Amino acid sequence: MENVQQFTAVKPIIEFRGVSKTYLTGTHALEDVNIKINNGEFVFVVGSSGAGKNTFMKLIMREEKANTGKIVVNGFDLTNMKRKDVPMLRRTMGIVFQDFRLIPNMTVFDNVAFAMHVVGADGRDIRKEVSKALAKVGLGHKARALPNQLSGGEQQRVGLARALVNSPDLIIADEPTGNVDPNMSYEIVSLLTEINKRGTTILMVTHDHNLVRDFHHRVIMLDSGKIIADNVGGDI
Amino acid sequence: MKLGSIRYLTKEGVRNIWANRLMSLASIGVLVACMVIMGLAVLISENVNVAIGNLEEQNVVMVYMKDYNWALYGREEAEDTASSTEGDTTSATESGTANTTDDTNGTNVESTPTDEAEKVDENGIKDSDYIIHDEKEAKALCAEIDKLDNVASVVYVSSEEGLESIKESMLEGQEEYFTFLDDENPMSCAAKVTMKDMAKFDETIKQIKKLSGVERIVSQGDLANTINAIKQGVGVAGFWIIAILMIISLVIVSNTIRVTMYNRKLEISIMKAVGATDAFVRIPFIVEGMIIGLISAVISEVLLYFCYRVATETIIGTLGTTDIVKYSDMALILFVLFAGIGILAGVLGSAIMIGKYLKREGSEFAAI
Repeated sequence: MENVQQFTAVKPIIEFRGVSKTYLTGTHALEDVNIKINNGEFVFVVGSSGAGKNTFMKLIMREEKANTGKIVVNGFDLTNMKRKDVPMLRRTMGIVFQDFRLIPNMTVFDNVAFAMHVVGADGRDIRKEVSKALAKVGLGHKARALPNQLSGGEQQRVGLARALVNSPDLIIADEPTGNVDPNMSYEIVSLLTEINKRGTTILMVTHDHNLVRDFHHRVIMLDSGKIIADNVGGDI
Repeated sequence: MKLGSIRYLTKEGVRNIWANRLMSLASIGVLVACMVIMGLAVLISENVNVAIGNLEEQNVVMVYMKDYNWALYGREEAEDTASSTEGDTTSATESGTANTTDDTNGTNVESTPTDEAEKVDENGIKDSDYIIHDEKEAKALCAEIDKLDNVASVVYVSSEEGLESIKESMLEGQEEYFTFLDDENPMSCAAKVTMKDMAKFDETIKQIKKLSGVERIVSQGDLANTINAIKQGVGVAGFWIIAILMIISLVIVSNTIRVTMYNRKLEISIMKAVGATDAFVRIPFIVEGMIIGLISAVISEVLLYFCYRVATETIIGTLGTTDIVKYSDMALILFVLFAGIGILAGVLGSAIMIGKYLKREGSEFAAI
């Protein structure tokens, strides 16, 4: 836990103070979690199934509310945040899903543009930024393709381009390598590392210990709703 | 919300209809059926109202006046009746026909105080025995009746015109019945009154009775009651038909939107995850509902036009009546009704469904 202290001088982008979450079913998903993730960090969140990773992500996105404690994300205090303010919080972050979540009847370009339409961007900006985002993930030449014409790795790169297109400060990746082969997994994490080097904070949930070992980023380990390890440098 | 976003969302709404074309088509079909039935209910109700209007115009009330002829013939007749009925204290005017309403004016010839100096004519009638002395006074009474709220028109009928009218209404040969009159005319002058609203029939009759100079009122009270009953029945039936079909329309559109919504769960979850507001998620569904409603309205209007044309041609051909409401007179009202119901059902149906989904079921992060 002492590793966390060395980041306190930098402004945290995510801060949990004494956060607990118990669902109506009685499941204790998180218990007294205290954590700070600073601006520009790359953090792996690991843990077995049921450890509380999903709840941790849902609380950051404000899909769930904590029962106790305080959560601050990107300067938004989520403790008493009203439902109508949630979209503003989410516009400051990009989400990458394990199952890609691409709309099958939309082209690659439209799938990425979709995230910009939602925030009310105008047509010219959309064309410019979508092309840039697709170029960043190496899919500029596949803009007119439909998702089912792409490989799993390519589909996940489209998901990444969609997360990037609104230039968020924080990218939350929920097991982005879960549905791709090992080579492609390395490619995707490399891409995320590149993005992180440009200043975007990355929070990535994964089960793949090899990736965690090889990429040497900070690792937060959850078990039974508690943080049991928090190491900078990729040691589990 | 920016104009570009509105354009994008409208496009999305149209795309939804095409993407779920079978479901949209089914909804349009059911909505059209509901709207055509609603339109028929409106048209039938309107035609019944026109027919009732014609009946109302024919439902004339005759208001007979206390003029010289009444003093001469009516009073004698009343006195005869009174003297032949022991202990009967009814006034002279109450001895009219079955359709004659009572005189409550209280002007009783026998109780009228007589002036000793007053002249008596050859028939034994004094000036004070009657109230309406000449045509001028009769027309003044007509004007008074005309001032009443529910009176549509008043026509003065002189005693000569009254007798003539009765003779004309007799079948051929029946004129002989009048030979006993020996050129005498027992008819009092009268006012031919039509009313605006038959629902206020009794109230208006009471008001007329209170006027000085009114002897008796001959009307068709039963017809007025029947007309009122029909009018109310048609109104109530029309209201319930439209109300029930509106609820059906709302349920139909809601279900279409519900299906579309579940088909688009993925899009909604992505929208929410990247920061779409609830309004942004809702608008395409509302647009979809509105378009389905509008398309149904246009189809219903055209379909109803042809149905009505066939029906009216058949009615005119068989019954020969031409007192039928023209479709062109109702076209705009019906279109506004259809479009209003369609849009309302679309907006309400989608707003309810999507609102429920966004609040209770929509998940941005959990696997779909």
